[in-house]
Amino acid sequence: MGHGVQITELPGIGRRYDVELGRPDRRVSVIVRKDGTRDLYVFTSTQEEPTAVLELTEERARKLSAVLSETFFEG
Amino acid sequence: MHSELFGLGALILVAGLLARGGRRLGLPSVPLFMAAGILFGPSTPGPVLIEHPEDLTLLASIGLVLLLFHIGIEFPVEQVLGSGRRLLVAAGSYIGLNIAAGLAVGFALGWGVPEAFVIAGAMGISSSAIATKLLIELRRLTNAETPVILGIIVLEDLFLAFYLALISPILTEADSALELIGDVATSFGFLAALFLLARFGARAVGMLVDSHEDDLVAVLMFGLVALVAGLSQEVGVSEAIGALMIGLVLSRTSLNERIERIVLPLRDVFAAVFFVVFGLTIDVGDLAAVAVPVAFAVVATGVMNTISGVIAARVFGFNQRSAANIGLTIFGRGEFSLILATLAIGAGLDDRIGPFVALYVLVLAILAPVLAARSRDIARVLPLWLMRPGWRFVEEETITTACAHLDQIRVTRTDVDVCPDCVELDDDWVELRMCLFCGYVGCCDDSRNHHATGHFENSGHAIIRSIEPGGDWRYCYVDGTLVQEPLGRRPATSS
Repeated sequence: MGHGVQITELPGIGRRYDVELGRPDRRVSVIVRKDGTRDLYVFTSTQEEPTAVLELTEERARKLSAVLSETFFEG
Repeated sequence: MHSELFGLGALILVAGLLARGGRRLGLPSVPLFMAAGILFGPSTPGPVLIEHPEDLTLLASIGLVLLLFHIGIEFPVEQVLGSGRRLLVAAGSYIGLNIAAGLAVGFALGWGVPEAFVIAGAMGISSSAIATKLLIELRRLTNAETPVILGIIVLEDLFLAFYLALISPILTEADSALELIGDVATSFGFLAALFLLARFGARAVGMLVDSHEDDLVAVLMFGLVALVAGLSQEVGVSEAIGALMIGLVLSRTSLNERIERIVLPLRDVFAAVFFVVFGLTIDVGDLAAVAVPVAFAVVATGVMNTISGVIAARVFGFNQRSAANIGLTIFGRGEFSLILATLAIGAGLDDRIGPFVALYVLVLAILAPVLAARSRDIARVLPLWLMRPGWRFVEEETITTACAHLDQIRVTRTDVDVCPDCVELDDDWVELRMCLFCGYVGCCDDSRNHHATGHFENSGHAIIRSIEPGGDWRYCYVDGTLVQEPLGRRPATSS
């Protein structure tokens, strides 16, 4: 954990985390804004523009992260 | 005749709806709030929701105070102190050029010296709100120039504090030079006193507003902010400085994040009231009279922003695309320009300042998002000689710092000035590239043999640079993008 995550301060907006996914042509950057909103930048091709940008509220980001980390339980 | 409450409610609701509609088109909110005020104001034909804007003065000044208080509370002191020489050069040239252009326009108008200084400030300081929203909407948060843009905005906020202190004596009518000097001294003395309070007395101030309950913190905070802002008005310094400085004081306390959160909705509402009330005082008829000077001002701002974008890009080693992105993202004017105009009107300066700033802000509000989205086309027309001459072929590309292969960089220089593989084949090449992992030198993709790309395909070494004279751009094959190391110290990643 923690390796391959690079952090950049974005003054006035929040912090940016660039996550190394160990595979070429795949990158994810997460921007955590001060108000809790997360911007998920997904790059899946060698295009310079992101393939997708998802704007998530704090609550939805938690839900997504719970699913990703297998801590989400039904019911 | 409507009741005041009815008029205010209707007007703010309409302003909110207008802003929401504008957001769909990518227009910023601040100018639309103002536009709602203009359209439904007493001096504009058509429906009038508020007959006497002066009745709302107190509400509007709460908006002004909270806007500046919020800047103070979220001001990143550490980042400013550690911002480094290059950012100071970039922000300094941006502010210097724009203030100079503003002074030139202001003096050319011949409305008076204090008026010229107000216009310089209104033209010189860009809107943080517009720039931040543009970066998010245009999906540019991973671009290499984005931290630079945000850094310039932060330094602009700092400059705003000094500029307010500088012009507040000009806004009060001093009879003699001696009196003026005295006023400037009072102004900066008050600023210094609040700085000292921020440095040494923050704890005590924190205890004054602290409570377990958020509602009480909100009440105590609001009272303190209004009190300090009013106090600075009493001593002849503008309420704007007092509000900003008390924000800075509270940002040094342990309450800082809670207050930042609590004040936000309050600020949003009252700031909207402030912008709407500013609009109420504007007569549509007056806008036509200032159209020509505003056109000059817009052109001047455009030229200065482009130049300072190029300067910033040169200092940081960016390309044309980044230069255009920097210059155009901070092209919008909004909250600060309206604050300065309000202070000027309050001080009884030339009343053409109101319509001038209103029209200027409206025009830039439409131009800024449109041009920022087209920065690629503008990058194309920026001549090569303006930037580093060696940055050929890459002027329109985005540079990113979000590349996960930057840790592959081992070798950055070489004395090889031929393509060894081409020499072996007895062939020719166009430009040379160097692998930053092993130092291999090969020819570019415009050359017949594509040796540099071939090297990546065989070895997987991701990052190359151009070793043409002046051509120090770096490209990552895997991410397919121009890359650059992030600015400043990168926090260590822990495991």
